[in-house]
Amino acid sequence: MKDAELIYADLAEVMRSAFPDRDYDGEVGPATCVFADIGLASIDLIVLAERLEGFYGVKLPFGTFLNGLRKQGATDVQLGSLVAFLRQNIPA
Amino acid sequence: MPEVDVNGTRLFYQQSGSGPDVVLVHAVTSNQAVWIFSGLVDALAAEFRVTSYDLRGHGASDRPPTGYTSADMAADLHALHAALGLEPALLVGHSFGGVTGIHTALLHPEMVRGVILSDSFFPGLRAFEPNYGKPNVWTDLRETYNSIGVELGETVDFTRLFQATAELNAGQLAALDERVGPFGRGWLRQLPELAETTCGADAFAEAGLTAEAIASVTCPVVALYDEFSPFLATSDWLEKNLAHCTAEIIPAAKHLAVLENSEAFTAAVLKHLKRLNSTLPHPLTTH
Repeated sequence: MKDAELIYADLAEVMRSAFPDRDYDGEVGPATCVFADIGLASIDLIVLAERLEGFYGVKLPFGTFLNGLRKQGATDVQLGSLVAFLRQNIPA
Repeated sequence: MPEVDVNGTRLFYQQSGSGPDVVLVHAVTSNQAVWIFSGLVDALAAEFRVTSYDLRGHGASDRPPTGYTSADMAADLHALHAALGLEPALLVGHSFGGVTGIHTALLHPEMVRGVILSDSFFPGLRAFEPNYGKPNVWTDLRETYNSIGVELGETVDFTRLFQATAELNAGQLAALDERVGPFGRGWLRQLPELAETTCGADAFAEAGLTAEAIASVTCPVVALYDEFSPFLATSDWLEKNLAHCTAEIIPAAKHLAVLENSEAFTAAVLKHLKRLNSTLPHPLTTH
């Protein structure tokens, strides 16, 4: 399983490439929220998902992941959850 | 990013799974994320090739100034279908997405095997629908805007919504942000951009989709209406006037069943897609 720190770095790289005109200067960690903190919109998350699939070369079950968060009552996606999801679903 | 140029407009789309083609069409002010966030795409992709896309003016697609009637959207869907080389498809449309689906079935019957509607209301059926233009979500939205001193009116008026949002001051916008939460902020931010288009008025144009035209649609139609929908008269009309219409109520939902009751909505859509797919001639065997 790929190290979580490496996945944070992957995520930062993919986000910079997907949204080059957006800057996020705040501290990034597991509790950072993609909507409230980073300022992504729902469709941005779909774009990010598509970019991550391209980056890792694998189809990822994002819908199941996001629907699971909704069922738990989450109103945002924390980077910690996203990284854990990626760790479980990308090639080692 | 997968995109396709149709009618001079770049549309962002996603595709998952393999099997008979299903195309998902979202509502005005929404985008394809609604299908993905609800888990519907993953659920359908086990048995179908699922294509979702952002309508012009929405999500990550281009936002041209004009061309937002259901006839325009049907032309886009027809062109997208052709550009992606899809087989005749089963369409699933929420609200205006369902209007687009029926309009596409009318104008391009050769590309549509069936249409599943989710709580759609039709400009052409205004005379038969006492609650036309009054979805419960609009009432909620009106109350939200009222709380910051903005009146949106009793009936859905997208032009007014787009313009009013474009004219909010920083204080009002911050208060609205607080009310709609982090997920709703992205939705809110797109509204002023739609104010620069004819989308608000076009979405309520009959555009040739009269009651007579709707009644002439011959492909199978499934009318999924929400338990607390104000549009049950529309559902009844469709069931009585279409050649092949099956109606079903989605419990515990009021206009956005795909998110309000994802489990029941997904189960119903999957059930009807399987039924339609098994009872209709497979597109590969019809040529």
